[in-house]
Amino acid sequence: MIKTTLLAGAALLALAGATPVLAQQVVKIGAVYPLSGNSASTGNYAKMAFEMGVDLINNGNADLAKVFPLAKGGGLPGLKGAKLQLVIADNQGTPQAGANQTLRLITEEKVAGLVCCYQSAITVTASAVAEKYGVPMINGESVAANLTERGFKWFFRTTPVAADFATAYLTFLKEQKAAGLKTDSIAIVHENTEYGNSVSSVIADAFAKGGLNVTMKIPYAANGPDVQPQVLQLKEKNPDVVIFISYTQDAILYAKTMKELNWKPPILIADDGGFNDPAFTKQMGPVTEGLISRSVFAQGKPGSVAAIMDEIYKKKTGGDGLDDVSARALQAFFVLADAINRAGSTEPAKVQAAIKATNIKAEECVAGYDGVKFDDKGQNTLASTLVTQLKNSNYVAVWPKSRATDPLVLPYKGW
Amino acid sequence: MSARRIVPLALLVLALIYPVLTMESAVYQRMGALVLLAAIGASAWNIVGGYAGQVSVGHAVFFGIGAYSSVVAFVHLGLPPIAGAPLGMAISVGLAALIGVPTLRLSGHYFSMATIAVGELVRVLASTSDFLGGAQGLGGPPMPRTVLDLSFLSAMPYYYIFLVVLAGILGLTWWIERGRMGFYLRAIKDSERAARSLGVSAGRYKLYAYMLSGAFTSVAGSLYLCMFGFIDPESGFGILISVKMVVMAALGGAGQLFGPLVGALILVPLEELSNSYLGGQGAGITYVVYGAIIVIIARFLPSGLLSLFERKPVVAQPEAAKPANPASGHAD
Repeated sequence: MIKTTLLAGAALLALAGATPVLAQQVVKIGAVYPLSGNSASTGNYAKMAFEMGVDLINNGNADLAKVFPLAKGGGLPGLKGAKLQLVIADNQGTPQAGANQTLRLITEEKVAGLVCCYQSAITVTASAVAEKYGVPMINGESVAANLTERGFKWFFRTTPVAADFATAYLTFLKEQKAAGLKTDSIAIVHENTEYGNSVSSVIADAFAKGGLNVTMKIPYAANGPDVQPQVLQLKEKNPDVVIFISYTQDAILYAKTMKELNWKPPILIADDGGFNDPAFTKQMGPVTEGLISRSVFAQGKPGSVAAIMDEIYKKKTGGDGLDDVSARALQAFFVLADAINRAGSTEPAKVQAAIKATNIKAEECVAGYDGVKFDDKGQNTLASTLVTQLKNSNYVAVWPKSRATDPLVLPYKGW
Repeated sequence: MSARRIVPLALLVLALIYPVLTMESAVYQRMGALVLLAAIGASAWNIVGGYAGQVSVGHAVFFGIGAYSSVVAFVHLGLPPIAGAPLGMAISVGLAALIGVPTLRLSGHYFSMATIAVGELVRVLASTSDFLGGAQGLGGPPMPRTVLDLSFLSAMPYYYIFLVVLAGILGLTWWIERGRMGFYLRAIKDSERAARSLGVSAGRYKLYAYMLSGAFTSVAGSLYLCMFGFIDPESGFGILISVKMVVMAALGGAGQLFGPLVGALILVPLEELSNSYLGGQGAGITYVVYGAIIVIIARFLPSGLLSLFERKPVVAQPEAAKPANPASGHAD
């Protein structure tokens, strides 16, 4: 009697012990993002994007599953339906906190891989920790060129870098030239700190190599009260193409002043930055119709991965759609989830091998890349950007043609 | 009486074996090293800010110089980063003299303001200098080439290196504290005019303290670079770095030998743990908790935590005729 009770008890214990192991197998993914400090807003949007990504893989979405296999629900099929768990840490906007939190996620939380870290400076120190511990890290947003030049074996980057953006403008403008528009004189107007200086020189270099002439460069102080002198200078020379590299307040000031002085170029390009800030589009959208910018995210055609995810994301955030940064972060997350799934294991070496073998098609991307495929240095060779145009105060994709949702309208309309 | 000897001895032993005790947890082991690193910076600040009472809020200048000297030694000369430390110390001493001669004449808040201004100036200069990597900053060796690069997986080597450096700085501070210069500095702190009237060359001794303090702060910067392998204007010259040195020293007890170390022992784990456990929620609770604890300590222990231990013997043995504490400074 006692024996059978014991046996039954033992069997029950074994069951109790065994079931949770099967049901609760969890794969942890770490994310080290700015949840406080200067970039807290960006970091929190990225956090919501990751939470959405985890939810899509764990609980599925019927519409999305048709075009995005990982969204069938029920976790990662490659790991017998293991659920994903997001462990997010705050990098506080400092390289020190970024490295410390990366160490914690690796050693205490035992994450299978990391997405990290938005700011290039933090990605430098955090990736060094992941490299020493041999844990794969995928970066979706840092554009400093040297990140993939360090000979790291565990670091991968999905985003295009600054030079890729310049190449996109170059190709775009050459196509317009071939179509008969004038691009003989090009002016670059840029704010005069590191951001403006470096982006403008990257663009000027790419254009010089590609055979387009940058005829004038106008640096200015972003916090200046007035931009009339700069606009008058433009009005006098009347260039065919103007490229702006600005923050938000100065972008608004330029849009106002150009209307006041009633001058506009045939092609007006604004390199992301302030011109993509919702504050700019809400306030100045009506007088900058036809402004050209770039973004890796555009909603795309209905039923596409990007369009469906954008809708789900809007429900989660209460109205704000995916944008340039949140889409890039989310793409990095899906690359990691996909690799862990294919590896069928959380063993770092297997995940690393799976990341190296990544081959994601353009139509499976939430970001507007040509796909995801890494070179020996860990850089995504298919990273690319979309050229967008402002239409009724919203940016729509107009180039390249294969992913355009709306026709390109030139010359620049303005007001 | 014996407790007064046993407690410090026990603490010393604990400090020596801490990395071994935390072998299982890389996070806690690393936290030990971070406490020591912060204590090095705050103890260096303490020489001029605590003992001499000249509250510099621009010490990040020296921290940044140390870090940048190290990274420059690597990037432009191919040397191990730590080889830049002596260079950083030399530049810091020179710059301290340059800044100190005009600004140390200013009294009280004006000196603090001048140091903030210099700090911001240097930060802006660094962010526009191509040689220093501009706003993007510069990285140390991505992969350790030799052991001299001081790039380790475990925090244990850092811990012992930092411990030795901290012991050196505290030893020197102790020696100064007991010597003529220590008395001069405390006299200047209490009343510069009175000190001058007694023949203390106040300007010169404040400058010595400032130069010495700058040189050691620079060492903290060099060590930071070895551990983290990257520096940019914000993490080298940012005003928060200066502020943290001041807060740590004040919290533990400014002008006391172990004050900055005690401050670091409280603040660094507080910062790390609050970020680890609250940071992921993304509501900035970390800083609320961090700030609240500082406010509480400032409200109830304005002379720093060490003042707790100073008051005790007086209360416990009111009739004790001779407290025999020649080394305890002023409790202000």
